Amino acid sequence: MDWTRYGEEGIRIVFGKAINADVHEEVRQYYFFLKSLDLQEIIDIIPSFTSCIIYFNSRLTSFSTLVSLLKEKEKGLPQTQIPAPVTHTIPVMYGGQYGPDIEFVCSYSGLTADEVIEIHVSTVYTVFAVGFLPGFPYLGTLDKRLFVPRLETPRLKVNEGSVGIAQLQTGIYSFESPGGWRIIGKTDVKLFDYTEAPYSLLKIGDRVRFVPL
Amino acid sequence: MIEIINPAWLAMVVDGGRYGYADIGVPPSSVLDRYAYTALCRLLGYSTDIPVLEIMGHDFSLKVNTDVSCAITGARVTAFVDSTPAALWKGIRVKAGSTIEVKEVTEGLRYYLGFSGIIDAAQVTGSYTTNLECRFGGYFGRPFLKGDRIALKDIHIPDERVIDESLIPSMQAPHLLRIIAGEERDRFSPETLKSLFEIDGDPWYKVSTKSNRTGIRLEGRPLEFKEEVERSIISEGILPGIVQIPGDGQPIIVLYERTIGGYARIGHVAKTDRDLLAHLKPLDKVRFQMIEPEEAERLWDEKITRYYDMLPK
Repeated sequence: MDWTRYGEEGIRIVFGKAINADVHEEVRQYYFFLKSLDLQEIIDIIPSFTSCIIYFNSRLTSFSTLVSLLKEKEKGLPQTQIPAPVTHTIPVMYGGQYGPDIEFVCSYSGLTADEVIEIHVSTVYTVFAVGFLPGFPYLGTLDKRLFVPRLETPRLKVNEGSVGIAQLQTGIYSFESPGGWRIIGKTDVKLFDYTEAPYSLLKIGDRVRFVPL
Repeated sequence: MIEIINPAWLAMVVDGGRYGYADIGVPPSSVLDRYAYTALCRLLGYSTDIPVLEIMGHDFSLKVNTDVSCAITGARVTAFVDSTPAALWKGIRVKAGSTIEVKEVTEGLRYYLGFSGIIDAAQVTGSYTTNLECRFGGYFGRPFLKGDRIALKDIHIPDERVIDESLIPSMQAPHLLRIIAGEERDRFSPETLKSLFEIDGDPWYKVSTKSNRTGIRLEGRPLEFKEEVERSIISEGILPGIVQIPGDGQPIIVLYERTIGGYARIGHVAKTDRDLLAHLKPLDKVRFQMIEPEEAERLWDEKITRYYDMLPK
């Protein structure tokens, strides 16, 4: 674990240098530990692939004070109750009007559309991070055969529910927004509901399985 | 009740921001000029967050149908109440039926209009602020349109307060942004970094017309990555004020609408200069100065003492 300042009001805790399940599990454990402390000094926590970012209230504490406090509290880390990951099944309509980039993926990979779909649904993905948009899951790890680069020029408008792939990740646009991932399908599952807690269907560490419709 | 006669270019409900949900991707969407916002709340007799209007553009007008106090802070504007010039950074009592107008913005970009009553906007996860992209919070998750009406609750009439001229920061371009070193600064050579910090000639950056509430894009001499370094990073949490360098080498300053980013971070805008980001308008010139974290903290303490602590209680 590596602790550094992150601007004036942030702490960056890095758990590893590469995207992998072990590093991510450490991130997840530490994130739930931080949440369990329920410290008023901590305004927000942003866990992702290899790090946890803490945004703290600089009127209540400082970088060094908060780091010392957390290191002290960390002795209780093994006792923290970490919620078990939930597995979600997400039905997807692949290709055609729902997946305008599937043809590109086929030509880039040399696979047929059916093979692309079969490969995409055959992995149970881990939610590595939730962000970019409220409820947007960064899912990994995508089968290498589906590796595609991001769009050179991002689309100004990607529909809500669009399922995209980019490099070794896949994700679901929880809201209509601009975006640069290659869109291969669409789901009707609502990923974020601002009217009701816990708001986001998915949280870090959950699993996602896609099924074709 | 207030009725929007003309919403100018963009008028929306904001407050101190939406916090505590960044782990599920919910950004703060905070008011951009936090000092002007704090001053506004104090002028209206509130010590805590209230919903206010954040407005861009000239020719804004609205009508109130109740006796209430209002105030305008942020960008310097030419304002009128029923055709009489109105003072800025001052609590003003207005009568039911009055029209409040802003004709011109003379310095800065965003101005704030608040009332001595709570705008009946939607609260989502404890904040009134509008998330424009996801269309929630504020006034039906959208900017105001001509003819919109919104109620004011719990109206009180505070004593008339004024903020001294010396407490109004300059918002004039060119802008100097002080930054502390970012995580990927070493991916750039000292030669290319020079273009970010030099004062003379070309090296100034200009604010792009493609800037918005999500980020301020700058245009100038592109920063070049060293050879054989990764240009992108593993996406991770980002905080407001981070200066990112995407592949094209043109800096983007992150504001309050994103929680995760994947571009190289060259620096973090010092907190003391962060309110200024609200007032960077297209074509404004910007330059950067690198400072140490301790200096940034000192400047922030100074801003608290010189500005925040001097506001009416």
